This record gives sequence, C-alpha cells and structure tokens, in this order.
Amino acid sequence: MNIITGLLVATIRMSTPLMLGALGEVFVERTGVMNIAIEGIFLMGAWGGFVGAYLTGKLWVGFLFAIVVGVFCGAVYGYFTIKLKQHQIVTGVAINILTLGLGLFLYQLLFGIPLLPLTVEPLKDISIPFLSDIPIIGSAFFSQNILTYLAVVLIILGYWVLFRTPLGLIIRSTGENPEAVDVAGINVEHIRFLAVLGSSALDGLAGAFYSIGFLGLYTNDIIGGRGWIAFAICFLGNWNPLGILIGSLIFGLAEGLSVFLLTSNFKLIPNEFLIALPYILTIIATIARRQFNVPAFLGKPYIKERF
Amino acid sequence: MDAKCNLITLKNITKFFPGTIANDHIDMELANGEVLALFGENGAGKTTLMSILYGLYQPDEGEIFIKREQVKIRSPHDAMEYGIGMIHQHFTLVPVHTVVENIILGTEKASLKYLNIEEKVKKIEKIGNKYGLEVDPFAIIRQLPVGMQQRVEIIKALYRDARILIMDEPTSVLTSQETEKLFNFIRDFKTKGHSVIFISHKLNEVMEIADRITVLRDGKVVGNVFRQEASESQLTHLMIGRDLIIPKINDRVHPKPEMLKIENLTIMGDRKSKVIDDLSFTVREGEIFGIAGVSGNGQEELAQALCGLRKAKSGQITLSNKDITNKDVLSIIHQGVGYIPADRHKEGLVLDMSIEENLFLKNHSNPSFLHYGFLNQNKIQKNARNLMRDFEIKAASSTSRAMTLSGGNQQKVVVAREINIGTKLLVAVQPTRGLDLGAVDYVHKTLLKEKKEGKAILLISTEFSEIMTLSDRIGVMYRGKLLKIVQRKDAKVDEIGLLMAGITEGKKNKKN
Amino acid sequence: MNKIDSRIEQSSISQDNNTWFNFMPVFSVLLGLLMSGLMMLLLGYNPLIVYTNMLSYAFRDIYNIADIFAKATPLILTGLAFGFAFRASLFNIGAQGQFYIGAVMAVACALKLGSLPSYLTLIICFIMSLIGGSLWAAFIGYVKARFNANEFLVSMMLTYVAIAIMNFLLVGLLKESKGEYPQTDVIPKNGWLPSLIPHTRLHWGFVLALLIALLAYIILWRTSLGYKIRMVGFNRDAARYAGINVENIFVIVFFISGAFAGIAGFTEVNGMQHMLIEGFNPIIGAEGIGIAILGNAHPLGIVLSALLFGALKVGGNLVLQTSRIPASIIGITEGLVILSVILSYYIRDKLIILRSKKKLAVQERHRL
Repeated sequence: MNIITGLLVATIRMSTPLMLGALGEVFVERTGVMNIAIEGIFLMGAWGGFVGAYLTGKLWVGFLFAIVVGVFCGAVYGYFTIKLKQHQIVTGVAINILTLGLGLFLYQLLFGIPLLPLTVEPLKDISIPFLSDIPIIGSAFFSQNILTYLAVVLIILGYWVLFRTPLGLIIRSTGENPEAVDVAGINVEHIRFLAVLGSSALDGLAGAFYSIGFLGLYTNDIIGGRGWIAFAICFLGNWNPLGILIGSLIFGLAEGLSVFLLTSNFKLIPNEFLIALPYILTIIATIARRQFNVPAFLGKPYIKERF
Repeated sequence: MDAKCNLITLKNITKFFPGTIANDHIDMELANGEVLALFGENGAGKTTLMSILYGLYQPDEGEIFIKREQVKIRSPHDAMEYGIGMIHQHFTLVPVHTVVENIILGTEKASLKYLNIEEKVKKIEKIGNKYGLEVDPFAIIRQLPVGMQQRVEIIKALYRDARILIMDEPTSVLTSQETEKLFNFIRDFKTKGHSVIFISHKLNEVMEIADRITVLRDGKVVGNVFRQEASESQLTHLMIGRDLIIPKINDRVHPKPEMLKIENLTIMGDRKSKVIDDLSFTVREGEIFGIAGVSGNGQEELAQALCGLRKAKSGQITLSNKDITNKDVLSIIHQGVGYIPADRHKEGLVLDMSIEENLFLKNHSNPSFLHYGFLNQNKIQKNARNLMRDFEIKAASSTSRAMTLSGGNQQKVVVAREINIGTKLLVAVQPTRGLDLGAVDYVHKTLLKEKKEGKAILLISTEFSEIMTLSDRIGVMYRGKLLKIVQRKDAKVDEIGLLMAGITEGKKNKKN
Repeated sequence: MNKIDSRIEQSSISQDNNTWFNFMPVFSVLLGLLMSGLMMLLLGYNPLIVYTNMLSYAFRDIYNIADIFAKATPLILTGLAFGFAFRASLFNIGAQGQFYIGAVMAVACALKLGSLPSYLTLIICFIMSLIGGSLWAAFIGYVKARFNANEFLVSMMLTYVAIAIMNFLLVGLLKESKGEYPQTDVIPKNGWLPSLIPHTRLHWGFVLALLIALLAYIILWRTSLGYKIRMVGFNRDAARYAGINVENIFVIVFFISGAFAGIAGFTEVNGMQHMLIEGFNPIIGAEGIGIAILGNAHPLGIVLSALLFGALKVGGNLVLQTSRIPASIIGITEGLVILSVILSYYIRDKLIILRSKKKLAVQERHRL
C-alpha cells in the first residue's frame, strides 16, 4: 500500500470520532449551549463501549452501552446547566474531572488491574465492492469500518435536518434568539436539553470508537484531549455540518501524519509541530474571523425576565 | 360609550410587581373594526396591560372576556388562538435568518419533515398582497431597515390569522414615511373588520389614527374618549395629570458665564440613523437646564456623549472653554463632570461592592486616595463617612453592600458621589426614577442646593413635573432635536406637553 | 422592572464575603464525601473504614503530613490562576499550558545554570517561569481585548501547543543525556528548592505559594488595580462609566493569572520533581479550577481547598496501597465535591432570591 493511500486511510479513520463529536457539538451549540463535558463523555463512552463489548462478546452491545452512558452523563450536565442554570464551564470541568476518576475506578472495579491490558477484537473494515478497488483512493474511502460510514451519513443527515426541516429551524433560532423561540410558544429549555442529550449520545459513540472501534482496549488516557479537538472543530467548521467534515479531516490528517511519520524514518518536520498545527490553525481562525457565525446566545442561560 | 359589539373586555385587571402596582383595577374595552389607542406616559402601565392580554403575564386580579365569554390566556399561544397578535417594541426576530424563517418559526411542529419553503413563501406573498405589505421573503433580517423588520413582525402575526393586532409604540423606530405606510396598513386592516390596539405616547399620531382613546396614568384609567370628542389639550392634561405648583424663583440679574456649550452636535445611533441631529444649547453656571421629552428621543445618547461613552459624529462639546468632544471617560471625569445615570443598578452602582467602595468608584486613579498604587483605606472610609453624613445616607455601616440599601438610599449614594466629582457640571438623567416621594424630594432639594453653589446642571427627565419644578430653562427634545427652549417663567404646561408629543406650532395649525 | 432574579442567576460563583455563605463549601465537601462514600458502599466497600484509613494514613507521620503541603503547593498556584481571572469574570482555562511553559523555562534555566550559586539559580528560574507563564496567558487576554476572540477556545488550544512545545524540547534540546526517555536529566543540586522539613518532600515552594496567595489577596483588595479588576468582574458597564479601560484590564488579568500558573511550574520542577518528564501533572490545571471553585475564588479559600485536595491525594494514595480500592476514587471524590459545590451555589442563589422576594413582598404590604 503506497504512502498516500496509507495516509488517506489513517486520516479518514482518525477523523471518524472527531466527526461524530463535532457534529453533536454543532447541534448543541446551535441551541446556545456548549457541551463542555465533551472530553469526559468521550472517556465514559470509551469505557462503556469496552465494558459492554467485553462482557457480552458483542461489539454492537458495546456501542449501544456507550451511547447510553453518554446520554446519562449528558443528562447530568444538562440538568446542572439548563435547569439549575449554573455555569457551563464550571460544570463541564467538574464532570471532566469526575469522569477521569470514574472511568478508571469502574474499570478497575470490574476487572481489577490485569497484568496485560484486556483486549477486544476491534471493528473490522467493510470494503464496499468495486468502489474500494479504485486505485489510491479506493481503499481509503470505501474500505473503512462501519462507524466511519455512519459518521459521514450522519453528517449529511445532520446538514439536512439543520437546514431543511422545521426542527432544524427551531434549533438554529434557539441559539440566535431564544426569546423569539419562547414567544413562538416553544419551550427553550426542552430543546436545549434534548440537544445536550443528542450530542452526548454522539460523544459516547465517538469515545467508544477509540476503545472498541480502533484500539481494542481501554486505558485512562485513551482519549487524550481529542474530545477538545472535536469541540474546536465545531468552531473551526463554523457550526456547519459540512464545515465539520473538512475540519475533522484536517485534524485527522494531522494525527494520521504524525503516526505515519513516527513509524517511518521521515524526519522532515518535527512530529510535535505537526500535532500542534491544527491547534494553531484553530487559534488563528478564532482570531481572524471574529468568531464567525457564533450563535448569538452561545453560553448564556436563558432566563425569562418575567414573573 | 357604544357597547354594541365588544370584542375584548378587560375587567378589573390588576398586576403587582415588587415595589409597584403596574395595573390598578383597569377596565378596558375593544370593539370590532376599531382602532383603540392606549395613551399615556412611560411607565403608565400600557405595555404591562397588553402583555397580560397577550398571555406574557398573568394578572393578579381581574378577568378577560373575548366576545363576552370569559377566557384564560396563559401564554402567547392561547392569545394567538383567539386571534390576538402583538408587535412588541423590541422585535423578537432572529437577525441572521431570512424573513420566511422568522415568520414560520413555531408554526410547524418540531418535526423532521421536509420544510417546504416555497409553500410558505406563497402564503406570505398572499398576505403581503392582501394588506399591501410587500417584503422580500429571502432577505436577511439584520440587513433590513427597521420599518421593514416591523413589517415582518406584522406579517408574523397575520400569518397566524391574527384579527386583533396590539402594537406597542410602533412608530418609535420609524421614519415619517414608514409611519405613513404603517397608518395606511392600519386603516386598511380596520376596513376588513379587524381591530388594532395602538400603544403610544405621541399625541399627534394618536389623534391621527385612533377611533377611541383610553388614557392611562400611574396604572389607572383616567380617561376614555372618542377621538372626535377629544381635544389635544384635554388629553395632554389627562396624561400628565398633576396640578403643577411652580415655585417662585428669583431671576438672576447678571447672567452667569457659560459652563457647557453644545454646538451642532450630531450623533449616530445604533441603527445607523441620526439619534442627535444638529443639537445646540448652552448651560450656564448656577443654572439648571432641563431637557423634557419622552424617552427614546436621543436623551440617553446625548448623556453618553457628554460622559465620553459615545462618539459624536460632528459638532462640539465645550466645558468651561475647554473642548471635551470625544475625549475619554476618565479625562471628562477629571474635568469635573458628574453624571447621575438613568439606571443606577446598571451604570451607577456596583451592587456587590460596599457603600464606601461605591462612593470611591470614580476615584480609582485619584492620587489623593492612593499611596503608590495601594488603596488608602482611611481616606476611602473618611470620604464615605463624610458623604454619608452630608447626604443622610441611611445604612448599617459604610462597609454594607450597596445591594442592601433601599432604592432611595442607593440613589443617594450615586448622587453623593457624582456631586462630589462634578465640580463644574452635573448631568442628571432620570435622577428620581423608582424613588419614593421622600427620596424624590431630597434629590430635588440637593440639585437646587448645588445650583445655588454655582454648578451647571443638565437635567434630563421624562417626568414633566420634575422638569417644571427644577429647571431655570427648559428645552423639549423630540427625535434628536431641541424643538424649543424657554425660560421657565414663560413655559406653558400645555405647550410643553404638546411639544413632547411632537406637535409643533406648525403641525397644530395644520390640524385645525 | 426588578432584575434581581436575572442578575443573581447569572452569577454561579458568588463573590460574596458573607460569613454564613462561607460555610457552604464545608457543606459541599461533606456532601461530596458522602456521595463518594455512597459509591464505595454500592460497590462493596465500607466508606467509614476507607475514610478513617485515609485520615489516619495521611496524618500518620511527619513525612505524609509534609507531603500534603507539598502536593498542595502547585494546586494553590493553579487555583489562584483561575480564581484571580475569575474575579474579573474572565476564564483562564489555559493554566495547564501556562504551567508547562513555566516548567520548561524553569528546567531549561536550571540545567544551564549549574555553576551559579543556588539562590541566584533559583531566582532566575523563578523569574523565567513567571515570565513564560504570564506571556503565554497575556496572549489570550490580548486577543480577547483586541479581537473579541473566544478566550475559552484560545486558551484551550494554547495548552495543546504548550504540550507540543514541551514534548518537542524533551526529545530534543532538553533531552536527558542517556537519551532513552522523553525527559530531562535531573537538575543540578543548586537548582533544587531547599527542603522545608528535612527527610520530607516539603520544600520552600510551599512558602512561596502562600506568599503568592497573600500577594493575590493584597492586589485584589488593597490596590487600585485590584479594585478595578473586581469592578470589571462585578459590573462591566459601571466600570466603563467610571472610566476604566476594560480591555487593558483583560490583558493585565491574564498576565498575572498566567504568572501564577507559570510559578507553579517552577515549584514543581525545582521543588518536587527536580526534572521534567513528559506528561507530568497532567490535570493540575483542571484541579486548579476545581480548587478555585471550592475556595470561592478567594486566596484563603483556595489555600484551604488545595490543602484538602492534597490530603485527599496523600490519604487516597496510601489507602490504595493497603486495600483493593482503586486509586481513582480520589479523582471521583474531587469531581463529586465540585459538583456538590455547584449544587450548593444553586441552593444559595435560590435562597437569596426567596429572601429578597419576601422582603419586597413585605414592603409591598406595608405600602398598601
């Protein structure tokens, strides 16, 4: 397999969980709430996925359980930030600290501290016949695992829902002017809470990708900040599902490149620089375009100024 | 009064808010095919009353009847079911979305079905044709002129089959041409058998468009007349209400030197239109110059420019022969300008800080209060104690938080501080808003005392009686211009009232 | 119209110095410990035994007690970093990155200045770590002031850039002479912060941290600058009306906040680890946030909370060694404590609103 194909394969694979996480973040931020617990939910998803898959021997159970765990964490986050109207950053940080301990705790509780890490057979690739035989790009685009295909489908679906359905209109309006939505008779808190649950489900799934979709095991630093990358991609992609696609590929490429270069003998650019590049890009983008189309009410709890 | 076909009846509506009665046992009626004007000053209770009708608030007492049947309106949704639509003073539109997207928001259930925009556009165009309200359905709201945005709000209501439109101060953001267009729409709407409730404080417009006028003052209904039977002076009198006792003043024999001079000042507002238009006036030492006018005519922007918080587009502001146009806030403070803001909670005080810290607010860079960058606690405390004594600020101690004070004492803190800072000029905007009579009296006495000491005072207030009580000279502000400047002894209550409502001599004669 | 509701509801952490409310953190800690104990119970452990063990182990001997203070040292500083910025209603999420930059500066100086007298080396390391952290953070303040950039995102990203820089140096310039692992050599003895209690890990960095906490207190409540900072935090509109240049305050606050985090790097490198290892103290920034929240963003509260977390860590580690309960219980307890604190703020805010509504209702009745 030549270099380019290998790189493409790695890129698209690594961008899968980022796409899922970023898509969820787009939806929730479009309603005006930042899901700051994203990193922690990724981790709990990884845990949940592994536990489900290991205990039942079936991967799909793992993924399902990961989603359930994600939704549960999201519910806690949503309750504190939407119902109790507490600060999103503070609550998110609390949950991230909590899940760091919780993931390891529950893992060790179930399995103790095994000498060798427990493993699970990760997702296998599914090659789409004929298409995957296209030279160079064939195996990259059409010989991935099911989660990758799902992610792309979800992004396209997400675009359609956001911009072509009444639900999407309501979601977008909630983040731009919750009062307009409220006056139209729609419960702002409900919309936001559902969005948090939805994004947390996707975050759980994304986290599970790392444990049972790719690596086949669980460790406490399996996520290593990638939840935050998904968070950043939401900004970078301008809160648009199609922008997410591009952003995820950029970050996926950076990650793929660094893995690739590590295993090869190319020492063109320092590895660390490659890893840092997407972050620097994000900083520049954040500054240069003055927050793009940030949903106008992002981060502000909706408080009815009435009695 | 004709009780023939009462569309809406409000009986005994009462609404309390902490500290005040917004609506005090109000009875109101609306007939079919009628334009009813709700007339009164700011704070009279008009918006609250209509918010109750629209389901945004629940009344503490009273009933609502629609077509003689008692109903409960628990939310705007219920109101819309009864065919009531409301166009608020502050639009509830999503600025970055298109006209269509705004109009249809909430009319479809939150489903995943395909949103057929073309269908909706057709319906919107039909409405537009029917009522003469053309609008580009795909235009983005924030790029539309304000008049157009309001039109979108109206179409929003009509899209939901509103037969009764409540409009809250609709012309406050419109040009005169847009106002004409709006009035044409209202007349047309009426001919189709629908009704409009028109909230306004502008007398000339009310006289032009209304069939019947209900006057509110301090939360009560004080008058209810048919337009043909009403006279402008009668309505003004009802709106203002109090018997004004104008105290005797000693006219100064020698005019004092000018302290503040405003020349041809033009300020652009947030909506890219002139909010202050070629304004000129002066305030002398030892004089109170009162600017009367209903809020929203540029007073706030003028005050902000004087303070250094808003840039002037052209013109000049001179203080004691020094040019302070567009200078920064701190230099203007150092020049000796004190500023009592309209909203003491927002701009005047830091509620979470102690009284002494609040009294120290504008002295943060004053070397006499500092010792190499460190706060001189003694000086701060002494300053606080002196001011609290001189201004009779009642509090447990100077370290109590400002939040714990009563409204009157809070305002005293602001007044005390600003008078201390404002050695040359004092700008007071709505200085007695929300205060009880005792506090109002105190503030007035204080301002008069400062006047005697030779300070120039610019008083900006919507409280007409306050202007009349305190000012030596009075200017009436309307849409960014000063319509007239008179000496207090020459001021006629009715004339000022009409000017506040925008009716100049020219217009009045045109009417008759 | 009365806006008490919205105003109060918007402040999740109160800058309240009311004594009664200062007991809230104590209740929250107890609540957090309770919930953590429930977790232990559900999974078969006796929380009472665990907690008493934790306490007895932590205070067993002088070494462990000293360790509490040693562990608390960087926590005090990263807690101050978040708490200081919070006083201006700013969120410095990038303390982790500023900590690493400070650590890199400190270790670089320590390695290169082996021949200087000890006090000089330490002072230089201290200053360089301070500068490193503060400049790294000031950038955030600058872009927020100038471009209104989202400070949360910028500080988050900068942390990762800092990690990349640190890792790059660890396999390159600063790499150990053996060349095996991504870490530096042990720094020469003259770069070691002297020990405070012999035969323990407690070093003078702890005293430094306390002094910095005192400094933070003095700045915030005793200087004109601190007054302006607090005003910007309480009421930005009033601050502008008072002639304060709010944008300047942004930059200054981030500068100082970053300095605190950078100094934490100094204390860890020169006082505790005596070298730089890849991925060390990976959540010191996040823990700082938790400590600042628990400590109500007040230097004294932060010091106490840091000590509490330090005790949790030391006791927890020892419990781990002697029972089968996983060490991660510490992290869980920390997280639950923070969540309880948030809960307590909600309850307290509700109480305030209830109280003021009652007061106004009473006033109303007297009026009519």
